[in-house]
Amino acid sequence: MEGVAMKLPSFKSLAPTAISVASTFSIRRSFSFARRSSSLSATITADSEPVSLGHRARKDFRILHQEVNGSKLVYLDSAATSQKPAAVLEALQNYYEFYNSNVHRGIHYLSAKATDEFELARKKVARFINASDAREIVFTRNATEAINLVAYSWGLSNLKPGDEVILTVAEHHSCIVPWQIVSQKTGAVLKFVTLNEDEVPDIDMLREMISEKTKLVAVHHVSNVLASSLPVEEIVVWAHDVGAKVLVDACQSVPHMVVDVQKLNADFLVASSHKMCGPTGIGFLYGKSDLLLAMPPFLGGGEMISDVFLDHSTYAEPPSRFEAGTPAIGEAIALGAACDYLSDIGMPKIHEYEVELANYLYEKLSSVPDVRIYGPRPSESVRRAALCSFNVEGLHPTDLATFLDQQHGVAIRSGHHCAQPLHRYLGVNASARASLYFYNTKEDVDSFIVALADTVSFFNSFK
Amino acid sequence: MAASAMSSSSCFVSSLRLIPFKRTFFSSSIHHQPKNLISRPIPSFLRTIVTFQKIPTVIVPPISASSSSVDLQPVEELPPKLQEIVKLFQSVQEPKAKYEQLLFYGKNLKPLDPRFKTRENKVEGCVSQVWVRAFFDEDRNVFYEADSDSVLTKGLAALLVQGLSGRPVTEILRVTPDFAVLLGLQQSLTPSRNNGFLNMLRLMQKKAMSLEVRAEEGTTTTSESTIDEASIVNVEVDKPPSVVEVEESESVSKVVALGNRGMRIREKLEKELSPVELEVEDVSYQHAGHAAVRGSAGAGADGETHFNLRVVSDAFQGKSLVKRHRMVYDLLQEELQSGLHALSIVAKTPAEV
Repeated sequence: MEGVAMKLPSFKSLAPTAISVASTFSIRRSFSFARRSSSLSATITADSEPVSLGHRARKDFRILHQEVNGSKLVYLDSAATSQKPAAVLEALQNYYEFYNSNVHRGIHYLSAKATDEFELARKKVARFINASDAREIVFTRNATEAINLVAYSWGLSNLKPGDEVILTVAEHHSCIVPWQIVSQKTGAVLKFVTLNEDEVPDIDMLREMISEKTKLVAVHHVSNVLASSLPVEEIVVWAHDVGAKVLVDACQSVPHMVVDVQKLNADFLVASSHKMCGPTGIGFLYGKSDLLLAMPPFLGGGEMISDVFLDHSTYAEPPSRFEAGTPAIGEAIALGAACDYLSDIGMPKIHEYEVELANYLYEKLSSVPDVRIYGPRPSESVRRAALCSFNVEGLHPTDLATFLDQQHGVAIRSGHHCAQPLHRYLGVNASARASLYFYNTKEDVDSFIVALADTVSFFNSFK
Repeated sequence: MAASAMSSSSCFVSSLRLIPFKRTFFSSSIHHQPKNLISRPIPSFLRTIVTFQKIPTVIVPPISASSSSVDLQPVEELPPKLQEIVKLFQSVQEPKAKYEQLLFYGKNLKPLDPRFKTRENKVEGCVSQVWVRAFFDEDRNVFYEADSDSVLTKGLAALLVQGLSGRPVTEILRVTPDFAVLLGLQQSLTPSRNNGFLNMLRLMQKKAMSLEVRAEEGTTTTSESTIDEASIVNVEVDKPPSVVEVEESESVSKVVALGNRGMRIREKLEKELSPVELEVEDVSYQHAGHAAVRGSAGAGADGETHFNLRVVSDAFQGKSLVKRHRMVYDLLQEELQSGLHALSIVAKTPAEV
């Protein structure tokens, strides 16, 4: 249950310029912001102190500057959904305000403009993950729909009884359930890789599992609970050796690091816009051209057809073949703007900053007594994502999250994070999770740890 | 577990018959022609004999999540212990202190025997695990026990256990979730899946009700935890089908709390006809013996198959008796197709009463 919540209605929205006061980090120079722009480097004056990316980026996210329940909001739930910078919101607003029109069909000016921008967004996404052609990007509602697309379209026509699909126990429900449905229909068998003693999926086990019978390996790139990442490039090599395809769930990687589909050589890759500073309602499937060309449609309707007769229809080429009906046009364009925003900062820079944050978070969190963090320990060879799922001995994560929110304005998640099999494997019902993004700062982590300590002592006093 | 009947708080108020019902007739033909249930018009020479009792029905208006202090159920309607608890929480202003109070309740909650931590006793829609158990004492007061792995939830469960235990079923059923607002523990009052508190209350009320129904049926009078091997329904001897009942009723009408179907019927009729008076009486027990009911697959465990309805509504204005009855049947189509066997309907306009 969501738990007891005490809502004292105070919802002060602090003006963005007042933020510098809020953080304890001493900013000795003031910044002059000519405009709210996505290009952060331009806003830093020449003789300023090196302010962290988090501090600079925060200014673009108005939503972060508010109080909840009487405390400053500390948003640590970006793995569930990210916040959107002003540039993305403007792009969405602009679309509706100035050139909203249905795409691909009209002749008139507005619809031509909308179509152009929509297809431009597709190119931006393609470029973001280094796809070779924009036509390899299929817009979907989100990553879940993208996986379902592959399951129903590719899966139903390629999986036969006895074929094997390899997953891990740490997969998100979206990368388990569609395969369960499809394997029931086709007679294919699902096999699951378990964790090793470092609490990451056992790669050796995965390698051994791959056999002539394997037709598909569907794995996460970065785990939303364990914070570990899988060596996708190697997995793809092993899979291709036996003629199997690989689908990569990149929901937690695309927003946080450079993802290059040429390098990975994955056959399919999915991600959601809302986790990468884009709006909800849009996501994408990357699929290699030859694969998409051979796949039958998923949803039928307008846009995905070529000719329609009463008794049959012919279908369009990909990506249109898999985009039935009017798409989320504004959202796609806003996703393109998100790609621009992130690229302007630079994904390598974002990743570097997040590695720093990840280590800081892990270090601070592990110093709190009775805390058990799931996933691998960070080291030279093992890099964790900037998130920690954890449990405090004797304290239910829901109680923890409730108190953190109500008394300290700290927003974390509690539950199974759409990974029930993983939690069952770890032997717990639920866990709490704090997840960071490039707009978080070390101060956010500090606030979290202070709040956590207070929470733990509060509940302990009742034992 | 979003039982539609529960979403409107008015469902918890069933107008229970406290006065013997003087029935005109109960022709057996009604039972065997489910599709054509039209009660015969009262012959004029009998009208003087028959009297109808007007029982004012308390219809609590459905409380929407957004309404705050205006339409809340008055505290006085709550069971006394719950009133005390509400007042206690109201007196504690500081949020942290409220939590402390809540945790204190939880700490003092009697632990639940693990054998009662069954699926049947689990509250749906909670991320934490919550179990509730209910049983009767000799006077048919409901007692509760509960547990949870989350201390806040346990505190809430403790509130409910303490507040509702030892009370009769009717009183428990009257409680609406409004008081949660008064506690000052902000809960989402929308009947959403994730609202554990609401679901806890619902489950407790549902359990109270089923204790009552089962007690009526005679399968069990005390503990609900004992599983009867063969639950043989102990039924009343079937009354001989009579055309006319004269003067005194031949039996004391049993007071039966409305089960799910009864609630649904009430809700539907209230919603669609906005009646000035509405009485829904479950008389299934009187027919539990006869063949049609025994074979009725859709009757469900609680055997809700026969109802007496009395509806007084402006919606009947200008409509013939047949039309009025048809209106009611149309509204209850779903029930008729899922095991509701017979309705005896009295449909009047306010002017005719």
